[in-house]
Amino acid sequence: MIMNPSAPTPIGSQIIMLFAALMLVLQLLLVVQKMLLTNIRLYALQSLMLTVIAAVIAWYYNATHVYIVAVLTLVGKVIFLPWLLNRLVRRIKIVEEIEPLINAPTSMLICGGLTLLGYIVARPFTTLDKLGNNTLAIAIALLLTGFFLMINRRKAISQVLALLTIENGVMLAAVALTSYGMPLVVELGIFFDVMVAVMVLGILVYRIRESFASMDTSKLTQLKG
Amino acid sequence: MEFTPGNLLTVTFATYAIGAVAGLCCLRHERPANLLTFGLATLASACGLLAGVLCLAYSPAFGTVRMQLLPTLIPYLSFSIRVDALSAFFLVVVSAVALAISIYSLGYMRGFYGRKSVGLLGAFYNVMLLATTLVFLADNAFFFLMVWEIMELTAYCLVSFEHEQAETRRAGVLFFVMSHIGTGCIMLGFLMLFQAYGHATGDYGSAAYSFDNFHALGDRMSSGSRDAAFLLFLAGFGIKSGIVPLHTWLPAAHPVAPSNVSAFLSGVLIKTGIYGMARVFFDFLPGTAGPPMWWGVTVLSIGTISAVLGVLYALMQHDLKRLLAYHSIENIGIILMGFGAALMFLHTGHPVLASLALIAGLYHTINHAIFKALLFLGAGAVLHATHTRDMEHMGGLAKRMPQTAFFFLVGAVAISALPPLNGFVSEWLTYQSLLQGYGTTDSLLRLMFPIGGALLALTGALAAACFVKAFGITFLAQPRSEHAAQANEAPSTMLLGQGLLVAACVFLGLFPTQFLKLLDPLTQSLTGLQISGQLTVANGLVLSGVNPNGGTVSTLGIAVLGLCFLSLPFLLRLVFARGTNVRIGPTWDCGLQGLTPRMEYTATGFSKPIRMIFKALFRPRREVQREYDFSPYFTNTIRFEAHVEEVFETRIYRPLNRWVLWASRRMRALQAGSIQAYLIYIFITLLLLLLFAL
Repeated sequence: MIMNPSAPTPIGSQIIMLFAALMLVLQLLLVVQKMLLTNIRLYALQSLMLTVIAAVIAWYYNATHVYIVAVLTLVGKVIFLPWLLNRLVRRIKIVEEIEPLINAPTSMLICGGLTLLGYIVARPFTTLDKLGNNTLAIAIALLLTGFFLMINRRKAISQVLALLTIENGVMLAAVALTSYGMPLVVELGIFFDVMVAVMVLGILVYRIRESFASMDTSKLTQLKG
Repeated sequence: MEFTPGNLLTVTFATYAIGAVAGLCCLRHERPANLLTFGLATLASACGLLAGVLCLAYSPAFGTVRMQLLPTLIPYLSFSIRVDALSAFFLVVVSAVALAISIYSLGYMRGFYGRKSVGLLGAFYNVMLLATTLVFLADNAFFFLMVWEIMELTAYCLVSFEHEQAETRRAGVLFFVMSHIGTGCIMLGFLMLFQAYGHATGDYGSAAYSFDNFHALGDRMSSGSRDAAFLLFLAGFGIKSGIVPLHTWLPAAHPVAPSNVSAFLSGVLIKTGIYGMARVFFDFLPGTAGPPMWWGVTVLSIGTISAVLGVLYALMQHDLKRLLAYHSIENIGIILMGFGAALMFLHTGHPVLASLALIAGLYHTINHAIFKALLFLGAGAVLHATHTRDMEHMGGLAKRMPQTAFFFLVGAVAISALPPLNGFVSEWLTYQSLLQGYGTTDSLLRLMFPIGGALLALTGALAAACFVKAFGITFLAQPRSEHAAQANEAPSTMLLGQGLLVAACVFLGLFPTQFLKLLDPLTQSLTGLQISGQLTVANGLVLSGVNPNGGTVSTLGIAVLGLCFLSLPFLLRLVFARGTNVRIGPTWDCGLQGLTPRMEYTATGFSKPIRMIFKALFRPRREVQREYDFSPYFTNTIRFEAHVEEVFETRIYRPLNRWVLWASRRMRALQAGSIQAYLIYIFITLLLLLLFAL
């Protein structure tokens, strides 16, 4: 990790870096973990890290609206969404494991490559004199690996989970990089976007399951004109 | 509250907004919905008109009015308004026309009671008026695009308001697609301007989207990107204003909309394209060096072609509103002839002539807005009374609807550029600028001016022919159908709306020098000169071309002379034929048993000579089928069909359409049906974009 010596508050920066790194680690665990329920718990944990980062930033900049974001993240993504997904999983009674398209070691390799790409892309921004200036690389890495996760899974519900981790990446960039520049409206917008998306997708997953007796989206190949 | 343009504008915006909400609130109650929506629109447009006139007439006192409509939450976007002379001029255009149309609608909308939702139409109408007004006033590229888009969407909803008919739906979709291609071009153009400003100053913030900072940006752009921006804006605003060959949506959309909406579409909405061109070509893009020659040449050529082709196609129509729609293309062409000439004069360094040509174009803009709205309102009144748009089923309406007939006649005289009405004044100014242009350059391009002048003369003559047909077939002779025979005069509000526009036609025709004074601040800001003094001779009674040896004309004089000569026969009769018997008898019918509508000249028959002269363009085709028992001279039934080919439709748009469909079928291979494949497409795009950003 590149630490910027001229960052305004080195300790704060280090805390943020630590939790951001933990988010990435959790993301990699998500990629290799096969149990669906464990996946949901990992996601909740990752969201908790994001909450901590938001809280730290709000503390250092004394920014009220970032506190709001932190509380919303805690309530929404650490408690409510995992609970919703858990309930869904129990209702559909999935017992079998996730079957990824690509096996675990290859997935890890690809994710390593994507993380590297994230760092290369974010390089011009790491010199910014700002708190959490090198979290952008992690945010991009989260986004890319989240995307890979989405492609790699067959089950609709684990694709929803992957979408949520992508959104965590976006939120990390939004909170850490632009903390006081980004208006609350935009953050609220993203937040409710995700809420609604998950609700709709949850219902959709349930319906797909009901209609096709499977959640495997790779079987839905007739939906074209 | 002080009586300033800023306050008046606030009232205008608020009233339009309240009108829209009121319309939605009384969806179920037709009468209050009608009164509220169109009443409030009348009030709002009156305030807007007053604000615009104040801004123009007292421009030094009020300066450039600036306002912030709403606090903004999003960076780069500011809801800021700036009323400079050009904006104020177009504010006058939109408000004047909207005022007349709103009053007219109070009566016209009664025809929709029990059939369609009046409240919904009123709400859309108010939003469209508000958005169009804001298009002319917006001071920020994002804000401009937002209101532009709202304007297009509401216009689309209004065009396809009577969506029960397939023709209307098709026209609506065509309008929607063409508008959005145009918007795409405009967006790209603004992005180029933004980039140019940012590159020159290093400021990529919200200031780089402000129209203030776009002024004379041409100096800071490379000539290549300046030309690209010019072409993008020409295409984008050209689609909106309906230049040939991008005009196909216009004759499709205007006839099917409710008539008050078509009046607004044709009178004002297509002028947003003209406003955009004036703004970009004269304010943003040329720098101190002036525009390149080929810009002016392009605009002048497009204008000439649009004018001639527009009027030629108009002559072939027998749908009254479609005919008027083609005339809009013609008049946009005339406006662009003025603009093109002005661009050429700016290049060759003749600012006085450039101002004259620009004034000619803008004068024609307001004139066309007024007489075309008048004609569409007249057509609406006829439609209201006869329930048909087909001229072949009208006739004899002058006796049944005398006032409407008179108003339509005034509009027809104005659009045919006959003195002393307003169409004549602006076309005369266009001639003056074109004819004086011959001496401004030595290159062969100077031939364009006399050729353009000649074609403008041809256009004027053909337009006159066309309106002889439109007025004659519609209003004169005997009714051709049961509906036409039972037509009644329009209600008083509809007549009042038309009457206001007639008054405007007469004022702009008889007192052009008074009006030209209002344009001084406008030319001051765009070309740096005030030339109304040079255009005025003899205390404003006579209008002159700038050149002292050139022509002068006095419409007031022509009008007075005309009145004198018109009263001469009456005087002679009074003197010489006092006391003789007056006998009123039937028209001479060659000894037949009375005249019937079947003996009348038809619209198709009237335009046949012109169809034959321009055979190469129209490619007329006719089919005659007879059924007879023993001799072809005694037919039982006869079927006659005549078609005119729309060259642009068959030669450009249909092949293009086929090609797009073919390409789309090929592209379908990408649609694998697998979600994973789609995700991979998105992922690869994302990766490529990220790598591209490196």
